[in-house]
Amino acid sequence: MHFLSIRHLQRTAAASVAALLLTSAPLSHATIDDAHSFAMEAAVPFVEQGFIVREDYWNGEVKSGQKLMVRHQMFKGNEYAFWLGTASEEVAFELKVLDEKGKEIELDFKNQGMFATVRVNPPKTGTYSVVFSLTSKKEKGLYWALAYGYR
Amino acid sequence: MNRSSLPCLFVVTAVTALASISPASAQGASAGVQEFDPQAFPGQVVEDVVVPVPSEVFSVLDKLGEPNWRQEIRTVNLPKTPDRTKLSLLFGLVVAEGFVAVQAEDKEAVKDIGREVIDLATALGLIKSVRPHAQAILDAADKSDWASIRKEFDQTQKTVRDSMEQMKDADLSQCVSMGGWLRGTASVTSVIGKSFSADRAELLNQPMLVEHFIASISKMSKDKKDHPNVADISKGLKDILAKMEGAVDGFTKEGVREIGKTCDSLLTDIQAAK
Repeated sequence: MHFLSIRHLQRTAAASVAALLLTSAPLSHATIDDAHSFAMEAAVPFVEQGFIVREDYWNGEVKSGQKLMVRHQMFKGNEYAFWLGTASEEVAFELKVLDEKGKEIELDFKNQGMFATVRVNPPKTGTYSVVFSLTSKKEKGLYWALAYGYR
Repeated sequence: MNRSSLPCLFVVTAVTALASISPASAQGASAGVQEFDPQAFPGQVVEDVVVPVPSEVFSVLDKLGEPNWRQEIRTVNLPKTPDRTKLSLLFGLVVAEGFVAVQAEDKEAVKDIGREVIDLATALGLIKSVRPHAQAILDAADKSDWASIRKEFDQTQKTVRDSMEQMKDADLSQCVSMGGWLRGTASVTSVIGKSFSADRAELLNQPMLVEHFIASISKMSKDKKDHPNVADISKGLKDILAKMEGAVDGFTKEGVREIGKTCDSLLTDIQAAK
């Protein structure tokens, strides 16, 4: 079980929601909303650095190990961060951002517990591909949520 | 839209399964072109598109100079109409106008727009879910808390679209997004037109979003697709897409002006009584 630090609990309501979910809801009842709560927990340190979190996000359920891709518009001059959350424990994350030629452009991939993050400084304004997967040895299907912010 | 209101994952499995997602595996063998082909992605492509809010583009324009955002604020005409398609387009337009007013840090304009949000939500039968956001906008305007207002406008738009999707009216949800995109793009073209540079103009390179809106309209029910405003938007978007795709070496000042003119014309029609 992943436990939130007291410091995170004090930071934002989003982190508090995630903490409540962890302490009150068994993971067998995990939902897509739980996955989004963990994505929002991942966003907390970025918000402190001035990132604005978008309300819209992508989410769903996916087979363990299955690759997913979302296409997204980004603007040169902004810095972006993507936050991938899941409602399952012990998940291995992959999270990449590809330009139109398929070249990886993400920075600072990090994963911690039930989320993973990357930053992106798009070299051009245009469409990019966010490619990701979640792999679990325990569960066949995994809830996920991918959110983003910009500054 | 694959947001929190729609827990199902709408995905398409790539027709062509390749061994990896590396550029080498996606290139055209004969031409030797190193373009990444998302259609050949060996996994699931999430079809949903998250449409950027206007301030994502505005923030870049701020970094490239100091636009006079007060000059960009427009008075919104809200025709009295029971037409939900028009009301949905207007809702997106008004929220985008809110983002312009925040850029301008114009407290009174934000308050006016907050009240228009309430009027439109009432007309759409969504006031119960929108009122808390609208009140938060009005309260934050009193404190000149621009970051909170920006967040509330984003939340308001999402709440309305989620409510529409819960009511099985995804077409209207798309209309909200389109109204917002048109108003945001009109502002961007206006700012670029006043101080043209290649870096500013590059912000208009958004063909995926335009294709998304055109595809969304084509999938709408006949009554929505044939709605005069929606039909005009479909045509206008095709013109805009052609200009975006034609700007191989970058946008010209004239190209920017034409995109802005198309957006302005469509926005005028949306605000017309009929």
